[in-house]
Amino acid sequence: MSEEKTTSRRDFVMGAATGVGVGAIGAMGLYSYTPAAYRRFAKAPRGNREEFGAVRRVRVTNISETSWFDNGMLMGDIMAAGGLLVNQYTIGWPPFGNGKGIAKGSFESGLESIRKMIPGDLDEAWALQTKLGVHPENPGGFSCLIEVESLDGTIHKYLLDSGWSFDWMDKAFKREKIDQMLAAHDIEALFLSHEHWDHFWGLPVTLKYDNRIPIYVHSGYYKEGLQYIGASGHKGKLVIQDKPIEKVIPGMVVIKYDVPIINRVFGETSLAFNIKDKGLVSISGCNHQGILQCTAYMRNNLKYDNNKFYGIYGGLHISPFEDWDPKYDDLVIALRQYEFEKIGCNHCTGVITAHKFVERGYPVVKGTARFRSKTPDYLGNGDTIEF
Amino acid sequence: METDGTAPGYLESRKLVKRWSGPWPALANTLLLAILFYATWWIFQDPRGIMRLYTPYVGYMYCRWLLIILIWVAYIFDFWPFRRGWIGRTHPVVKGLVLTAFSVAVMLLIIEGFFMRVLGDYGISYMSPDRLEAMGITRFYALEYATEAIMMFAVIASWLSPAWVVAVENAPWGKLPQPTRGVTIMLVTFLFSTIVYFLTMHSHMAILFYPWQQYTAITPGYWETFANTVSGNFHIGWIMCCTVTVWLYETIWERYPFNLIQTDWLRRLTAFFGIIAIAVALCFFLYYTQDLVWGETIRGTKRLMAPDWRWLHVGEMAIFWLVPMLFLNFYCGNWPTRFSRPVNVLLRTFITIAAAIVLYVVYYKTAHLFLGVQKGFSHPQQFPMIPTIWLINIMLINMWFMDGWPGWKAVPKTTEELAASHQEIVARDVKWSPALGVGLAVGVVGGVAIYVLVVAVLPWLGQMVTIIEGST
Ligand SMILES: [Fe+2]
Ligand SMILES: [Fe+2]
Repeated sequence: MSEEKTTSRRDFVMGAATGVGVGAIGAMGLYSYTPAAYRRFAKAPRGNREEFGAVRRVRVTNISETSWFDNGMLMGDIMAAGGLLVNQYTIGWPPFGNGKGIAKGSFESGLESIRKMIPGDLDEAWALQTKLGVHPENPGGFSCLIEVESLDGTIHKYLLDSGWSFDWMDKAFKREKIDQMLAAHDIEALFLSHEHWDHFWGLPVTLKYDNRIPIYVHSGYYKEGLQYIGASGHKGKLVIQDKPIEKVIPGMVVIKYDVPIINRVFGETSLAFNIKDKGLVSISGCNHQGILQCTAYMRNNLKYDNNKFYGIYGGLHISPFEDWDPKYDDLVIALRQYEFEKIGCNHCTGVITAHKFVERGYPVVKGTARFRSKTPDYLGNGDTIEF
Repeated sequence: METDGTAPGYLESRKLVKRWSGPWPALANTLLLAILFYATWWIFQDPRGIMRLYTPYVGYMYCRWLLIILIWVAYIFDFWPFRRGWIGRTHPVVKGLVLTAFSVAVMLLIIEGFFMRVLGDYGISYMSPDRLEAMGITRFYALEYATEAIMMFAVIASWLSPAWVVAVENAPWGKLPQPTRGVTIMLVTFLFSTIVYFLTMHSHMAILFYPWQQYTAITPGYWETFANTVSGNFHIGWIMCCTVTVWLYETIWERYPFNLIQTDWLRRLTAFFGIIAIAVALCFFLYYTQDLVWGETIRGTKRLMAPDWRWLHVGEMAIFWLVPMLFLNFYCGNWPTRFSRPVNVLLRTFITIAAAIVLYVVYYKTAHLFLGVQKGFSHPQQFPMIPTIWLINIMLINMWFMDGWPGWKAVPKTTEELAASHQEIVARDVKWSPALGVGLAVGVVGGVAIYVLVVAVLPWLGQMVTIIEGST
């Protein structure tokens, strides 16, 4: 009798142990990836969206989007220096070369070599760095001019980023008459989107013409970056942005994204505009935060006309090295549902991505492929877009 | 001497006995594993080390191919062409070195010879990095694309090859002598792997190139709507779960519960497809857990919020479970063993899940400090499958090629022990009874309740717990 009881208890326990597995695995398989399981995800509420005024019109002139001319060379340098985690100042690229070659550079030794020449004598500084730096023929830079017409008709001019090569950027500035605008103090501020070489290291070129221009940077700038701003002769206001949203003028804000970026850079800022009767426009350097993350944040935190995300401009950081991964196709496919009216892209968007946008019939504003820009499928050097 | 099919394989014929009592064998072997892991990681994989194969795909390919070749040598070929006598009498360290060198040589022959040269030069251009580079792709990415494709064969094979041994019990070639049996099973599982590759990863490779190679592959893949991505990572998710489930079934589950089935063909078929069913359930569940913790995916976004990465992470999570599973089986005598088989199996499952969670948290908190990988869950330079499988490779070498040296040594099983292990194929310790049936019903309810509880707790956990500060 008691033996029977023990047996049946033993059987019960064995059955129960097996049943737990069957039940759990069964539930995992039959419920987890079903529409019913996803009913619990309410659509994310749009938070307390900020009213920030409006502007009438925004015009962007692409001064330079060719950050470097040879992808293979740039990628090769990064890999030879130890890969995507290596501190950008140690790679040995100009203007932080020290003659020791790849991966042997340092911020201090590089800066020391040109300290006395920036921003006054950039020709000499770049000529010297052509000897000291790794692959000095490769740098170009990213920079654009933004002209904003306020509702009262006044025109405000801003620069987003200052490129990389002193030589290339100086020529590009002259081509678009940025040098004269800066010298006349027509440009109200320089926004440095992030600390990367191709957006930031050409800073002395801006300061050569106007060393009092207010500069906005992300609070993730490293001490080297801040030191470089000072050493380049900056005498104006420096805004180190801590707030997620910084107002500039009515209808224009700077949005701060905290993201780790390759080669030891932290954070990127983007500009957002509310265009009267049209809607929201975002203007970015690289969009390292991801164009859809950028879009989602602005959508959830800003109030804008028509409730419409009207357009975007900038590098979309999809395939900057023309590498590919099916996940980029996911972006290309998914972009349709965001219903932008105007897409201005270039730089780290990648040529292949631009082709794919065009093939899908997205409203990509085409360019003219001048001044070493690679394709007319996107906005090249010297091209403009208006929102 | 050549083994014929009726004699037990070497791994079956040996019994591993501890050299010392107490926890010392496990501790000694753990120390050896740690030293070997870190030294070889630095030499071969670490991005700051010597060969820097962790790009990540180049290193991942070697890692996965070595795994499958270890499985072939020990499980499929039963150490052929090495003689049983030599295997039996040679010092474990010498054996480990020789057999590992042999495996590496075979691996290089297959990768550099068969895939990159034969297939790459005469059949499929994306298998050859040189060809891709000649067509204008940057060297770095040419290597990444080609190695990703070659790696996927190994990923699929490391599910199918052991599944043939473990679930299908080598049928119908189990009685063939070596090397005929090994060659047959290798070729058959390789054929199946190739078919699965074409059905899963070929479309993924075809859309890597511009324009989509629509005349040679279905573009985009048929799974696009279902998986919410065109990426083949969806397949990596469930296939990795299959690999892990095969070993789950073989090690801590002791082939329970499918070994209750007495009819050979039915047991084999059920086990093979049962493993797939369990793996798919695991895959869906692991995907869902991520959505619960991190929020629903947004297609087209990068990294953590992207569906393609979440599918990849399913595989990564599964692999974090495989490590404690093998450790418990190899170095802890499949503890606990004192209860009935189903209870042991359930306890081991809970123990290894808990250990996997600990490993997961510790890995993401510390890996960037000592492995040279990037901080964050979803960073492209964060590929936990490489270090975990690298460690598993070393564990397999230690147990299969070195008989568990230094903590263990191999002694031949007695005739009775051999007979007992032969009996094992069908388990007779669990028999149907009304009490078992009641238990089963109660257990199923309990299992579902556990699931419901986990699903309820995860979103809260996602809000409360941050594993990595300031990174995604
Ligand atoms: Fe950048
Ligand atoms: Fe950039």
